[in-house]
Amino acid sequence: MSRTLRLLLGTAALLASTALARAEPVTLEVWTHDDEGEFTYVLAKEFQTQHPDITVNIKHVAFADVVNDAMRAYTTGSAPDVIGIDNPETAMFAARGVLLDLSPYVAQSQVIKLDAFYPGPRNSATWDGKLYGIPRASNTLALYYNADMFKAAGLDPDKPPQTWDQLYQAAKKLTDPAKNVYGLAFSAIATEEATFQLLPFVQSAGADYDSVGSDGAIRALEFWQKLLDEKLASPDTLIRGQHDSAGTFNTGSAAMVISGPWELPDMSKQAKFDWRVALFPVEKEGSPRASALGDFNNVIFKTSKHPKEAFMLLEYIYSQNHRNWNDFGLLPPVQDAKVDSPQWPKAYAVFTEQMQYARPRGPNPDWPKISKAIQTAIQSALTHQSDAKTALQTAQATIDRVLKK
Amino acid sequence: MTSTRTSQSMTDRSVNFQPAAPAVRAPSPYPPAGGGGTREAPSRRALARIPLLRTLRDGSGFDVVLVLCAVGYLLVFAAFPLAYTLVMSLQQVDMFSLASFDRPFAGLDNYRDVFSRPEALQILKNTVIFVVLSITFQLSIGFGLALFFQQPFPGATYIRGVFLAGWIMPALVVGAIWKWIFAGDFGVLNYLLTSLHLTGGKIFWLSDPDVALFAVIIANIWLGIPFNMILLSVGLAAIPRDLYEAAEIDGARAFRRFRHITLPLMRSTLGAVVALGIIFTLQQFDLIAALTQGGPANASNVAQYWSWQMSFQTYEISAGSVVAVLMIALVILVAALYVRSTEREHAA
Amino acid sequence: MRTAKPFILLGLALVFAAIYLFPLYWMYVTALKSSTEIFRFPPSFWPSDPQWQFGRIFAEHAMDRYLWNSLLIAVGTTALATLVGTGAAYALSRHRNAWTAVALFLVLMLQVLPPSLMVTPIFVAFNQVGLLETPRAAVVLAQTAKVLPLYIVLCRSTFLQVPRELEDAARVDGASRIGAFLRIMIPLARNGILVVSVLIFLQSFGEYVYSRSLIAAETLQTATVGLSSFMGPNTNDWGGIMTYAAIYVTPILVVFALLQRRIVSGLTAGALK
Repeated sequence: MSRTLRLLLGTAALLASTALARAEPVTLEVWTHDDEGEFTYVLAKEFQTQHPDITVNIKHVAFADVVNDAMRAYTTGSAPDVIGIDNPETAMFAARGVLLDLSPYVAQSQVIKLDAFYPGPRNSATWDGKLYGIPRASNTLALYYNADMFKAAGLDPDKPPQTWDQLYQAAKKLTDPAKNVYGLAFSAIATEEATFQLLPFVQSAGADYDSVGSDGAIRALEFWQKLLDEKLASPDTLIRGQHDSAGTFNTGSAAMVISGPWELPDMSKQAKFDWRVALFPVEKEGSPRASALGDFNNVIFKTSKHPKEAFMLLEYIYSQNHRNWNDFGLLPPVQDAKVDSPQWPKAYAVFTEQMQYARPRGPNPDWPKISKAIQTAIQSALTHQSDAKTALQTAQATIDRVLKK
Repeated sequence: MTSTRTSQSMTDRSVNFQPAAPAVRAPSPYPPAGGGGTREAPSRRALARIPLLRTLRDGSGFDVVLVLCAVGYLLVFAAFPLAYTLVMSLQQVDMFSLASFDRPFAGLDNYRDVFSRPEALQILKNTVIFVVLSITFQLSIGFGLALFFQQPFPGATYIRGVFLAGWIMPALVVGAIWKWIFAGDFGVLNYLLTSLHLTGGKIFWLSDPDVALFAVIIANIWLGIPFNMILLSVGLAAIPRDLYEAAEIDGARAFRRFRHITLPLMRSTLGAVVALGIIFTLQQFDLIAALTQGGPANASNVAQYWSWQMSFQTYEISAGSVVAVLMIALVILVAALYVRSTEREHAA
Repeated sequence: MRTAKPFILLGLALVFAAIYLFPLYWMYVTALKSSTEIFRFPPSFWPSDPQWQFGRIFAEHAMDRYLWNSLLIAVGTTALATLVGTGAAYALSRHRNAWTAVALFLVLMLQVLPPSLMVTPIFVAFNQVGLLETPRAAVVLAQTAKVLPLYIVLCRSTFLQVPRELEDAARVDGASRIGAFLRIMIPLARNGILVVSVLIFLQSFGEYVYSRSLIAAETLQTATVGLSSFMGPNTNDWGGIMTYAAIYVTPILVVFALLQRRIVSGLTAGALK
């Protein structure tokens, strides 16, 4: 063989082998509570077209089972690479050392800008000074109200209640037992949902989850008591979740409901009246504005064999968050998302503004125990088994024990 | 009471009554046993001399193998979760130490912790009420329906079948439907009660702490009726008709016939149904999860739900295991009582 | 009059059935309602704007595949339980001594834990031995352990109601124990065995916890787990859930309501005519 030919063959072989090495296929295991055709599935498919050497296997896990299944999988060595977990659970996983610290990845990332996040979602993904998750979307709570009922009761639908007292007065005017209408609907069910709904009231009164025994928190719970005692909200509030409470609003059995953007699709289809959204009321004029923070953070397990590729997937999801609202009905977790002609524009504007004040729950690695203490206090006070003060101080004692650990 | 078994009348169990037939020995369907000639039923001493393999085919070895298969299967698949739970109740278990046995030993600390919780007493009380009332009504209504459907009338056996609905519907669905039925504001039950003027105002079945537990019990009774009814129907159908006939001829009235014929002959079925019913009721979880989540304020919380709450909601796995162990103890009691009661089933 | 009684009884039966079946009726009605109408007061007994989603839900949620998997698991569990349990039930009905007492006790005891508590150790153990490669078989094995005690205890009661003299008679005629068991006892206890088999078939068809935890692949998943896909973190598609449930429940209910009729009342031909 001539020298030239040998050189050419050699170079070709070298090029071929490096090309093959670079294109070594990677498979990512991703777990999500989304259903087929929803958020994660859609974005993962797009990601795969852009990165043909990365395959994404998605496993659907029911929302209620995410943590338990993840725990079980991790302890048997079969944890996925990426999983979407509810934001208050991030600290739970991070503190037990099972998550990958994403701070160095984000520092080098051209795509993800830490400062772009709303403070709420960013704090929810942070533990011990490090970032452990990338929020994929957010949601929060605001006040929906029935403008038609407002007009009928002599209230101005353009001036929705903005303080607790205004809320109380409006609810009183709107409650009509003869027509089976309650002024306000919310949820105090013995699950995380009650804590989710109460905390914004507590926070506006100047307290938080770690100071539930303080005066502000007591005022918040007593406000709930007042609403129930005077039948401005249904007694079934104690056993109804947020979605069912919104159902009573949609059907005209409640004039106002505290709920989140996830209700908009159903509400727009089924509520046959002029429904509007207002910011979550504060305690008094000038009180801090606060609301809840929901939705999921995508995290990477430490045991992942492809952290780089997994992070690329998270970057892609982040890069598409301007589509969250119109394509998937989810709020973007960043303040600079450019959403063109958002659907339900007025509601979108309110929720986006509310997101500035959305606060994470915790974060704390034992959040479920803290939440349970609060739920117990809520149930106890609302059924008058004890008064708000005693109930919350009992909860405070439990929470102190948890925080001390 | 005469022997519960007669060699008469293993006749057709259908609804139509057959006249009693005297015992007739049917020609044996069997060829003569291999080895030639007929054999006597082996006496005990003879058994002892038969080699092992023969006992497997013909003697007590046969029984032993049959039982060992089943018990063995259960020991393999069900015993270690029990042991695992017991071990966890004595250790400090955290979320991510589930797969290893090597966890800090906590002795009886977990037990002390669980019992000192303020809700413990109420939950245990609720559990007892839940089980007692559920079983009582499931059994009586189930038995009543079984007796009712034994009567001859057109369509009886068809209509009886629809009661299987409770056993077939997924628990999630049953819970959701009963939740809507019991809803205070828009529930159908309140609507019917107020329309028929049976109650003054709306009863908040699920959110009133005084009523919540009973609402859950009512739903649980509904759920348990098919199991009781079908099994008791089979038991009833196996009772020879001519016993009733004979008693009627002797002048016994319906209630006496029930007390002296039906109940004794149903004893083993009744015992099994009650024992299993208690164990199932102690495991009933989905209903409470769907209806009240144990609320309000633990008014309808029972031990099995509490255990789940601790293991899977607040991840206090050790505490959840403690309650599970307590339930195991309760079931041990029930199982022991049942096994004792089976002593009297062997009249022969 | 002599002929009135049956019809009075029939009337009563229909009333009882109507009362008992009200939740079932409510399930069908809710399947047709929009999710807001569920919360309306006064409640509507027939939807104002019926939404017929049956076809769509069946197709979109691959119900044919899910129902098939559920069927496989139910059949597998019933077969295994019958195979392992019938003999044990028979043996435990024939003798009563300290050993059988212990065995019966163990049988009852070993199913005390609800599946939600059994599932973690079972998952860990099955994972270790590689059983999770055949997930549906794993579910069958786990579920059989759950229903076996039920099967044994109830079949034992059935066997107790079969007169022992018949078996002895067969033995005297030259049958072996196995022969007597297979050819005399089982046919005589057939009704009880069949009813209990039906009950455990139905219960295994509706199995949820093990399927959810042990089966990872979507294509092998069961119908009850498919039901949970309607429940999201913040919303529940009640109309969808009830539609799915209606598709799931109706054929089974019809089949088994008819089946029980033949079994409970007694298939023809008594044993010793």
